[in-house]
Amino acid sequence: MAPPPPLSPPALRRLLILALTLLVTPVATAAAAEEEFTEELLLRPLPDRTALAHFHFSSSAPPSAAAGRHHHLFPKVIAQLVQQFHIRELELSFTQGRWNYEQWGGYDPMSTNYAKPPGVELWASFDLSLGEIDATWKNLTHTLSGLFCASINFLESSTAFSSPHWGFKLNKGNLRYGALPREAVCTENLTPWLKLLPCRDKAGIASLLYRPSIYKGYYHSQKLKLTSSQSFGIVLDQTLTVVLQPDSVMGKQLHSADGQLQPSWSMKDLFNRNLLGKCFVSKSSRVFFEIEKDIFDKVDKSGTEASWTNELFVLSPAPDRVLKEINNMNGQSSSLYEYDVSNYEDAHLDVGVTWKLPLIWSCTPAPYHANRFLMGSGNERGSISLSFISTNMHKQLFDSSNDCSIKAVVFQVVPWYVKVYYHTLEIFIDGNSKAISEVVDKINVTPSEDKLLPGTLEMLLRFPCSMQSATLSLDFDKGFLHIDEYPPDANQGFDIPSALVTFPEFNSSRNYLETDSLFVSPLLQTFKEDGAVKSYTEVLLVPLTTPDFSMPYNVITFTCTVLALYFGSLLNALRRRTGEEERELKKAAAKRRLIPLLISKIRGKAEPPPPGSSPASVLPSKLLLKVVFVAVVAVVFHYLSNS
Amino acid sequence: MASGRGGIPGPSRPCRLPLLFLPALLPLLVLLAFSSSSSSSGVAAAASPGAMHNNNWAVLVCTSRFWFNYRHMANTLSLYRTVKRLGIPDERIILMLADDMACNPRNNYPAQVFNNENHQLNLYGDNVEVDYRGYEVTVEIFLRVLTGRHESAVPRSKRLLSDEGSHILLYMTGHGGDEFLKFQDNEELQSHDLADAVKQMKEKHRFKELLIMVDTCQAATLFSQLHSPGVLAIGSSMKGENSYSHHLDSDIGVSVVDRFTFYTLAFFEKLNMYSNASLNSLFNSYNPSMLLSTAYYRMDLYERPLNEVPVTNFFGSVMKTIHTDSGYSGFLAAYNDGILLSTEDNLLNHAMLLNESSQRRSNIEETEEAQLRSHGLTEVLLEQLDGKNADTIAMYGLGTMGILLAISTWLSM
Repeated sequence: MAPPPPLSPPALRRLLILALTLLVTPVATAAAAEEEFTEELLLRPLPDRTALAHFHFSSSAPPSAAAGRHHHLFPKVIAQLVQQFHIRELELSFTQGRWNYEQWGGYDPMSTNYAKPPGVELWASFDLSLGEIDATWKNLTHTLSGLFCASINFLESSTAFSSPHWGFKLNKGNLRYGALPREAVCTENLTPWLKLLPCRDKAGIASLLYRPSIYKGYYHSQKLKLTSSQSFGIVLDQTLTVVLQPDSVMGKQLHSADGQLQPSWSMKDLFNRNLLGKCFVSKSSRVFFEIEKDIFDKVDKSGTEASWTNELFVLSPAPDRVLKEINNMNGQSSSLYEYDVSNYEDAHLDVGVTWKLPLIWSCTPAPYHANRFLMGSGNERGSISLSFISTNMHKQLFDSSNDCSIKAVVFQVVPWYVKVYYHTLEIFIDGNSKAISEVVDKINVTPSEDKLLPGTLEMLLRFPCSMQSATLSLDFDKGFLHIDEYPPDANQGFDIPSALVTFPEFNSSRNYLETDSLFVSPLLQTFKEDGAVKSYTEVLLVPLTTPDFSMPYNVITFTCTVLALYFGSLLNALRRRTGEEERELKKAAAKRRLIPLLISKIRGKAEPPPPGSSPASVLPSKLLLKVVFVAVVAVVFHYLSNS
Repeated sequence: MASGRGGIPGPSRPCRLPLLFLPALLPLLVLLAFSSSSSSSGVAAAASPGAMHNNNWAVLVCTSRFWFNYRHMANTLSLYRTVKRLGIPDERIILMLADDMACNPRNNYPAQVFNNENHQLNLYGDNVEVDYRGYEVTVEIFLRVLTGRHESAVPRSKRLLSDEGSHILLYMTGHGGDEFLKFQDNEELQSHDLADAVKQMKEKHRFKELLIMVDTCQAATLFSQLHSPGVLAIGSSMKGENSYSHHLDSDIGVSVVDRFTFYTLAFFEKLNMYSNASLNSLFNSYNPSMLLSTAYYRMDLYERPLNEVPVTNFFGSVMKTIHTDSGYSGFLAAYNDGILLSTEDNLLNHAMLLNESSQRRSNIEETEEAQLRSHGLTEVLLEQLDGKNADTIAMYGLGTMGILLAISTWLSM
C-alpha cells in the first residue's frame, strides 16, 4: 500500500483509493461475519432405560486485530484467556458420576470424547517456551478457578499436575495435565459456563437446562474445549453430556408387567422444560435423535424398512432430515434424525420416542473393559491392579489370525503419598504370568518425589488377540503426610485420579452423509475427528494412616502435667524450710482459727473476725471437744458392733 | 492450616522477650506509642469523614463441612439471597461454602437447598456464584480475603476489593465456642485472629463501616477482642449459651436453618430495596424466647446512632441517582440530602420501635425472675441465719452430723 506518487493528479489518487477500499472491504466484512455460534442437541436412548442428552455449543472467533478487546458473539473472557496464557489447546471438564462403559457403549465418539473422569480434569498445551509453561499453568489454574467457581487452583502445585509425553496425547513437552477427582460439580459451575453463551440459558437449546432435572441424572459432564491457532482463530466448544432417567410418570408404560419395554420419553420428560425456538444469534440450531446400529439390526430382522416410524418405535414429530452413517462394513449403520429448531418457532419442539415393542439392544463396547482396583490391606502397603477383560468385539473386526495383537496405552498419575514401586510391575495374561518385555512395548515412568512431583506412568502394551483377560499390578507403600497436609475429612481416604486407557488402533469416528453442504455441524465434525477409543478407569480411594487429630492436645496436656509435677516437687524439696514453716504456722494459729472462718462463710458475709476476742477462742475449743467426742463415740460404737 | 495464623503474633510467647528489655526501652516505647497513635488517629480522622459510603460488599462464610451441617450452608445461602435481593451485585459478594450440599449424594433434591420445610424457596437457584468452596474454606484463606493479602495469581472475583468508602457485611456461621469459630471441624478462627484482621483492614482503609454477624454458639465471645472503630457486631448468643437450629425437615433429614438466621430472614423478608428500617429495628426484632439465646450487639465501636442507620446500608447497596440540569457537581451534596431524608423517615419508625422494645424488655425481665427462683431458697436460709445465734446453729449442725454418722455406720453393718 505504497502512497501514490506526489506528482500524480488527484483523480488518479481517488481512483487508487477506491480500488483499495473495494479490495479491502470484502475481506474485512468476511472476517467480521465469521464470528459464529451454533447450538445443537443430540438425544439417544440407552439400553438401560435411560436417555443420553448431549448439548453442543460452538463459538468461533476468526483471527482479528480486535481479538480480546471486542467481540460480537464470542466470549471476551475466553479470548483474553487464550491471549494472555498463549493457549494452543485447552480442555476443562467437570463430571459427576461415572460413564457406564458396559451399558452406554465404549466405542463411539460420545464415549471417547465426552466420557470423562469424575471431578475436574484439565489439560492444556501452550504456545510457549518450555521454561515458561509451569508458571503459566499456575496462573491459568487460578484464572479458571475464578471463572468457573471451582477449586481448580489446587492444580497449581507441582504435586498436582504432570506433563505426559505420549500416553495422554502426543506433544512436545508443552502439555500439562491435572485432575481433581473429588471436586464437587454443581450449579455454580454450570452458571458461569452458561454465561459464555450469547443467549445464556434464556433462549435456544440452553433454555432446556433446568438444573434439578440435570443434576438428578446418573452422569453429567460439562466440558469446555478451546483450540486456537494463527490461521483459524479460536474455536470454543462447550458441551454438556447428561444421562437421565426419563420421567416415568409421563412415559406411557404400555405393558407395565413386561419389564423390558423401554420407557417412551420426549424432551419434556427429560428436562421438564419446553424448547421455545432458537437462540436468534445462532447460525444454526438443531436437535438430533440418534438411533443405534443395533436397533436397526433388530428392525431389519422384523422385516420393515428402517425409518423414523416402524414396527419397533416412532419418533414423535417427523424429522426434517435423516443422516446416515457412512460405514465401511456391510449391514445397517446408525442414523441421525435431524430437527431444525428454527422450523418450530411457533410450536414447541418436543422430540420424543415411543416404543411399540419390547426391545433389547446393546451399544458397541470398547475392545477391552478396563477396570482398576486396589489390593492388600492395612495402612502400610498395597497394590494397584489394572484389569482388561476382552469384550470379543475385535473378533468381528480382525480375522482371528494367530499372531495379531492389539495395542493399548495406559496413562496413570499417582499422587506422591502413594509411593508406587514401578519395578514390581507384574503382568498376567489369562492367568499366566508373562515377562514384561513380552507385553510392554514402550514405557515411560516419572517417579514421584515427596511433596514435589506425582508419579506418572505411560505404558504401551501389546496384547495377543486371543487374550481374554489381562491383569497388571504395581505395589506401593503409603506415605505419611505432615499434620498440616491432611484435608479436613482425612478419614474418608485419599483419591487416586482415574487412569486413561487408549486403544490407538480402534477409531471411534463416525462419518455421516451430509446432504447440506453449506452448513457443517460442529457436533458432527467432532464425531468425524479421528479419535482413538478411550476409556477412563475408576477413581481409587486409598485410606492412609490418619492421626487422631486430638492427639497433639492430649500429648501437650499430659506432658505439661508431668513437667509440672516434676518441677513442683523438685522446687518443694529444694526450697522448703520446715523450721520456718512451723513458726509461721504457730503465728497463724494464734491469729485465726479455722472454725470461725467457716462460720463466717456459712453466714455468707465476709465480716472480719473480731481480733482476739475471748468468746470466739473459747467456742472453737468447746466445739472441737464435742466433735472429738462424737467421733470417739462413733468409733467405739463401730468397734463394739463389729466385735 | 497452621500457617493461617502465621501472620498473627501469638498471644503470650512473643511478648515475653521484649518484656525483659522493657525497663530500658520503656521511655522510648512510650514515645513511639504516642507518636504512632497520634499519627494513625490523624490519618483515621482525615480518612473516615472524608470518605463517604459509596459501595457495599458482603463476605458470607459457612465454615462447616459434612452433611449434618446442612443448616449452616442454608443459613449462608439465605443471607446470600437476601443481600442479592437487596441489591448487592454478585461480584461484590464473596461466598465461602465449606462443603457441597446442593449436589451432595445425600440430598434428595439435587441442585436445590431449602431453608424451610415448606420447600417454597430454592436457595440454590440458577445464579449462585461460589467463590471459595470445599477445602478452600480455611482460616488462612478467610484472613487473606479480609486483609487482601493474596497471591498475585488470585483472580479478582475471589478478592475483597473494598476501599475506604465501603460498607462490609461479614456473616459467619458454623460451630463455635468461647472465643473461637471452627472451620471445617479442623481448625479454629480465634477472636484475636478476627480482631487482628479487622484492625489490619482498618489500617489499610479497606472499610468505612463493618457489620459482623455471627450465628454460632457463644457468638458474643468472638467479638471480645475487637477494638477498631466503625465496627458493629451482632452475635446470636451470649457466652455460655448455645445457638439452636430452628426446625428439622423430615424429607431432607436434617435441620435446615438456625434460629438466629431464621428470625433475621423473617425480618428481611418484609423489606425491599427501598425500605428504611433501621439497624435498631433489626436488633429489636430478636426475641430471646424465640431464639432460645440472647442476641448480643456490640456497638461501642460504632459512632452513628443505630436508629438512624438503615439496614440497607449493610445488607443492600442502594445507590441514589441524581438528576442534574447543570454539570456534575460531585456526590457530596446528594449525600447530605440522603441523610436528612432518612432521618426524617426514621423518626416515626423509631417511636414505634421504642414501644416495641420496652415490651420486649419486660418479657426478658419476667424470664429472668423465673431463673432466679432457685436462688430464693438460699436467700431464705441466709435470712434465718441472720437473726439467731449462728454459733448455736453450727453446734446443732455438728451434733446432727455426729448422729447421722453413727446411724450410717450402724446401718452399714
